[in-house]
Amino acid sequence: MEEKRYVMGDTAIARGALEAGVRVVAGYPGTPATEIVDECLGVPGVHVEWANNEKVAFELCTGASLCHVRAMPVMKHNGTNVVTDFLMHVNFTGIRGGLVLISADDPGGLSSQNEEDTRILVHQYAHLPIFDPSSPQEAKAMVKEAFDLSEKTELVFCLRPVTRVCHARGIIAFEDLPKDLPAAHYEPDRERFIMSAVEMPKFGGVKRPQIRHRWLNEKQVLLQGIMEESSYNWIEKGEGKIGLVGCGMGYTLIKEAEQFLDRKLPLLKLGTLPLPRKKIKEFAKGLEKVVIFEETEPFVEGLFKKIFHEDKIEVEVLGRSGFVPSDGELTVQMILESIAKAAPGVKITQPVVPTLDVHVPIRTRTQCVGCNYRGILNALKQTVRKHKGIVAGDIGCHDAGSFRPMELQSTIYCMGSSVPMGSGMVLAGVNRPVFAFIGDSTLYHNGILGLMNAANNKINVNVILGENTVTAMTGFQPHPGTGVTLAGEKTTPVNVPKLAESMGISYRVVNPYHIQECREALEAAVKEEGPSLIVSSMPCYLLSTRQGKKIFEPREVRLDPERCNGCMICINDFGCPAISINKQQKKVAIDPMICVGCALCVDVCKRGAIV
Amino acid sequence: MKMDVVISGVGGQGNIFASLVISQYAMNKNLNVLGAETIGAAQRGGAVVSHIRISDGTIYSPLISRGQADLLIGMEFVEMLRHMRLLNPKGTYLLNAMKIPTVLNNMGLDEYPATEEILQAAKKYCRNGYVIEASTLAKKLGNIQMTNVVMLGALVKIMDFFDYDKVKLLVQANSPTRFKEANLRGYEEGFQLIKSH
Repeated sequence: MEEKRYVMGDTAIARGALEAGVRVVAGYPGTPATEIVDECLGVPGVHVEWANNEKVAFELCTGASLCHVRAMPVMKHNGTNVVTDFLMHVNFTGIRGGLVLISADDPGGLSSQNEEDTRILVHQYAHLPIFDPSSPQEAKAMVKEAFDLSEKTELVFCLRPVTRVCHARGIIAFEDLPKDLPAAHYEPDRERFIMSAVEMPKFGGVKRPQIRHRWLNEKQVLLQGIMEESSYNWIEKGEGKIGLVGCGMGYTLIKEAEQFLDRKLPLLKLGTLPLPRKKIKEFAKGLEKVVIFEETEPFVEGLFKKIFHEDKIEVEVLGRSGFVPSDGELTVQMILESIAKAAPGVKITQPVVPTLDVHVPIRTRTQCVGCNYRGILNALKQTVRKHKGIVAGDIGCHDAGSFRPMELQSTIYCMGSSVPMGSGMVLAGVNRPVFAFIGDSTLYHNGILGLMNAANNKINVNVILGENTVTAMTGFQPHPGTGVTLAGEKTTPVNVPKLAESMGISYRVVNPYHIQECREALEAAVKEEGPSLIVSSMPCYLLSTRQGKKIFEPREVRLDPERCNGCMICINDFGCPAISINKQQKKVAIDPMICVGCALCVDVCKRGAIV
Repeated sequence: MKMDVVISGVGGQGNIFASLVISQYAMNKNLNVLGAETIGAAQRGGAVVSHIRISDGTIYSPLISRGQADLLIGMEFVEMLRHMRLLNPKGTYLLNAMKIPTVLNNMGLDEYPATEEILQAAKKYCRNGYVIEASTLAKKLGNIQMTNVVMLGALVKIMDFFDYDKVKLLVQANSPTRFKEANLRGYEEGFQLIKSH
């Protein structure tokens, strides 16, 4: 029975996988893919979990697939980078049960540390097939088909949705879930699943990596045939000699832009990699140029140029290598401007809107009002100032400590980079105290390796763990320090002090709502030789509030205007959104509509003006 | 028939709830609906925006392009301004008179425009606007988080597209049990907030 629901693209992808009979789903939270894992939960017989990191999730899913069970690792683009090593092996071995990798990209870096296009990694580098959806509905259909094709071709298939697919909401048809799923079984096949430099007698002693490479290359012919017939690629006829090509979301935006054009231009919709070569050649017939709209690198553009060069087709290929801006998210505006440049004869009628005669301030995100990170960050700010310290940062809610006004962390790269980067600064001989600030989910993701390395090599780095017991930034997913699984089952949370003990690292556990306690611990850590760990331990305030748990006793906080001299310490070294400066009066004000009464600012003010 | 709606605010103001109610209402009317949302790391006190596209025809992009919105719901002064140019100047806006300063405003490094200036600029852009004290009312009713339901009540009063009772049922259905009663009260009071239409 079919039922229509208004849901997010991520939910549509999850539903597609469930309808395809997925049995194991694993991922690591990351916008915009997070909800896909959450939405798979609750179906009997389907195991859904948050793994430590994306590589663990992918390997676990591959194990399941080798037992003939359908599996789906879910991640954002940064996670796919983490998976690369494994990806460059599983592409050679192939899989058994359908294995569909969800690799979500975030053009424009709307919620990411970088902007990248994982199609290049998965298709160009690992030679694996990709579906690039143009809508939540198509994403759902693609996931289902990808499972079938994955089994048929014995290859990992990848769905690469972008943020505007994941976080779009649309009306999705929910179909019944399969009743009986095949049972798992395993038969060894060492010639496939032992990836090692061993001579293969069958192939005259050629080593296995080369033979498996050959196997993967031969699969490309099969894939080519499948994509040529795919229903996700089609041609729409139009007037003139300038054709548009829309890949995934690019197609959707072209369709949106069409309402502003005085004529329909020839349009090729693409949703697959490998590309349908014959269809592209058919489309190119009679055209002078094509403009390709894709997220985000000029990847399909490059493939078009290759095809046209090889087949001696004289059609100019334009796209994101400069004709269309090479960075950022595609917009209808970008498409219209590109069409105006490529086809000056086409009349574009877009509504003219007046300008707005008022200054619109930029709003940057920060920690929540009441967040415990503000306490440890303030203590760290004071310590860093006193000792001229440097702070290497990491991914997570605490990263907002690197923005204005705090400007504390000096570096932020990717998951777990803080401790090794801080270690490197120490080893460079910078001769200043070095701190590394990392959250607990990031520590378990792979930060723990840097910590162990610092311990093992006796590097004098001061590591601060913001232990809020949950992956807060992406919406409170449990991790190995939470004590509960995604399915709600109790489990043993990692005991960080014991972990530190086992590595031989000195540690101090502090309550971030007590700034003085944090300062003393930081001071002691600076004085101590060798690696040290400060565990700033307190549950996430936002989650606790939602769960109805009190992590501090809220109290009314007010400003004593007689004592405030407008020194700005409470703003510049603390940055609570409830506190602002009144420039005329040279005094701060606390907004009672925003304040939640954590009273951390009472300790921040040196003059006792906040009471 | 088409109606494109933008809801803009600051993370935590309840954009998504309001956007769900509007979308479900349209879906129940057998219309096509497509939406886009800011969720994830972009929240946490940052600017958030929801786009909702409603039509009896095919809808392509989940995002509304410049000058195409028929309705702009601003949960906060500056956040409405940020997306003002998505609004068709012949459309309608509904603004919650609430000021949430930015980090740079708090530091005294950037000026938050004066209320009068904001209202004039908005009026100059689009004649058909409503400015209500939804957050003040929500706080008076016991919880500033009810701003979104107060706004929904007011919205139903000013837009003939919406049916009071049907939206009320959706507010009820989407509210967590412990907030149901309070949310319905907020919705009713929001409807009363706009006297003439």
